[in-house]
Amino acid sequence: MSKRKIALNEYSQEHLLYLESIKRKKLLISILRYALFIIFIALWEVLARFNIIDPFIFSSPSRVIQTTINLYNGGELFMHIGVTLAETVLGFLLGTLAGTSIAIILWWSETIQRVLDPYLVVLNALPKIALGPIIIVWIGAGMNSIIVMALLISLIVTIMTVLSGFMEENAQKQMLMKTLGASKWQIFSLVVLPASVPTIVSALKISVGMSWVGVIVGEYLVSKAGLGYLIVYGGQVFKLDLVMTSIAIISVLAALMYFGVSWLEKALINWRSHSKG
Amino acid sequence: MHPLVEVKNVGLVYHEPHAETQALKNLNMTVNEGEFVAIIGPSGCGKTSLLSLLSGFIKPSEGEVLIRGKSIDETDASKSQIGYMLQHDHLLDWRTIEGNVLLGLQVKHMLTPETHEYALELLNRYGLYEFRNHYPRQLSGGMRQKAALIRTLAFSPCLLLLDEPFSSLDYLTRLKLGDEVYKIIKSEGKTAILVTHDIAEAISMANRIYVFTQRPASVRSEYNIELNKDNGALATRNLPGFKEYFDTLWKELDHEQTKNRAE
Ligand SMILES: Nc1ncnc2c1ncn2[C@@H]1O[C@H](COP(=O)(O)OP(=O)(O)OP(=O)(O)O)[C@@H](O)[C@H]1O
Ligand SMILES: [Mg+2]
Repeated sequence: MSKRKIALNEYSQEHLLYLESIKRKKLLISILRYALFIIFIALWEVLARFNIIDPFIFSSPSRVIQTTINLYNGGELFMHIGVTLAETVLGFLLGTLAGTSIAIILWWSETIQRVLDPYLVVLNALPKIALGPIIIVWIGAGMNSIIVMALLISLIVTIMTVLSGFMEENAQKQMLMKTLGASKWQIFSLVVLPASVPTIVSALKISVGMSWVGVIVGEYLVSKAGLGYLIVYGGQVFKLDLVMTSIAIISVLAALMYFGVSWLEKALINWRSHSKG
Repeated sequence: MHPLVEVKNVGLVYHEPHAETQALKNLNMTVNEGEFVAIIGPSGCGKTSLLSLLSGFIKPSEGEVLIRGKSIDETDASKSQIGYMLQHDHLLDWRTIEGNVLLGLQVKHMLTPETHEYALELLNRYGLYEFRNHYPRQLSGGMRQKAALIRTLAFSPCLLLLDEPFSSLDYLTRLKLGDEVYKIIKSEGKTAILVTHDIAEAISMANRIYVFTQRPASVRSEYNIELNKDNGALATRNLPGFKEYFDTLWKELDHEQTKNRAE
């Protein structure tokens, strides 16, 4: 570490200027990012205030905030957030867990993999939302159906992504493990699984988004609570403020969950480097 | 006393949906304890296949492979005391050098404080101790290959199989590492079988060389290399007599390689 600091002082003038220009560019990009957001919100507010766009249809930032406060005062805000969040997290976790487990089984047995391959392809192409009404009839109109929707929608993608990670290039490393006399389980746990961590994480990132789709659609179809329910209800009674507010809250939550997964990514990569098995 | 390795009339056939490949046929060889044997032969003749047989993860179609007089499939693969070094180091990039070196011990359920200590000692003896907490990407190609060798030595194998272990390195590194590996193997008193395309490398390291025929491989000829190797592999290249061996082997290999083309 200290070596590097000394080196910094030894950089040529030119290199220091280069570093400076990188820093400046980075700053500019963050400023522009925030500016874009602020301009968008401000423009929306101003246009609505001066009735250039109809605030009744387009709502406005201040109306969104007011609606959020009203929901909070009515004691409903966290109830709706809680319901949707619980469904999404459960659907996401179950989908990832089931998807990864199935991918492991398929990696383990080439026969099963080849038998199931065409089914996976068809299931992947099928819009899972089409199954919504059937799920509701089978499981009942309630939270369980919504969780199953979220699970199904992320399941197949997870299986396919994770499996492709398992099957990747590892042939040579598996050969090495065989020369050491490793069992199939050792090959999996010491090489295939840790080597696939990056792929598994990218599967997680995809399925977080998928779970949100599953949950919101599920809530459109059956629920009596949750952010998806608020959107449908708001649409039906023409309270667009309520719709916009729900969308804003969903955006914030989805972003938070995405950052959660990014954090998990770092933790997993770390775990991989420090585990000695 | 049995020789360490006996290959008796071994044949090997690979079956694939659209092809049947005879890789080895009537192959006979023996390797005694403490020997350094090199194998050279035309490319694709079946050298790697032979090493796979010796390491026990494929079975011969005919004949038998004996290690200390015992058939290889009687010994459990995970307990096998045969170290196999591949062309590429295949160090796991998420493990440190130390973690990589312990891999074989771990797989064989042989990781104890004593064996761990021994692995660290090997790292120390061969100049990689300071790098034990580095990741493979931080090491040069030659150092990585040396780490791979230590991973193989760590579980104290009785036989080392080296499959073109230097071919992915540049020429200079290759000469230096060859010399170093030779010294390591000799000072650890290991028996080794080296597969190589490099005739000079074979002469500089081995006390005996088998020349294989084209596929299906069998032994075409066998040479004892009577050169004084006390000063290591690199020094051997300057000894009088080296060139004669080189010329002889070169002709052998050339004849073998052009055999079919002439027909
Ligand atoms: N797993 C396998 N399945 C089918 N055929 C194989 C397999 N492994 C090797 N072969 C074939 O057997 C023959 C001998 O291969 P092998 O790799 O043993 O040769 P080699 O002498 O090591 O070649 P090289 O000089 O290229 O390293 C080749 O024709 C190869 O295509
Ligand atoms: Mg080969």
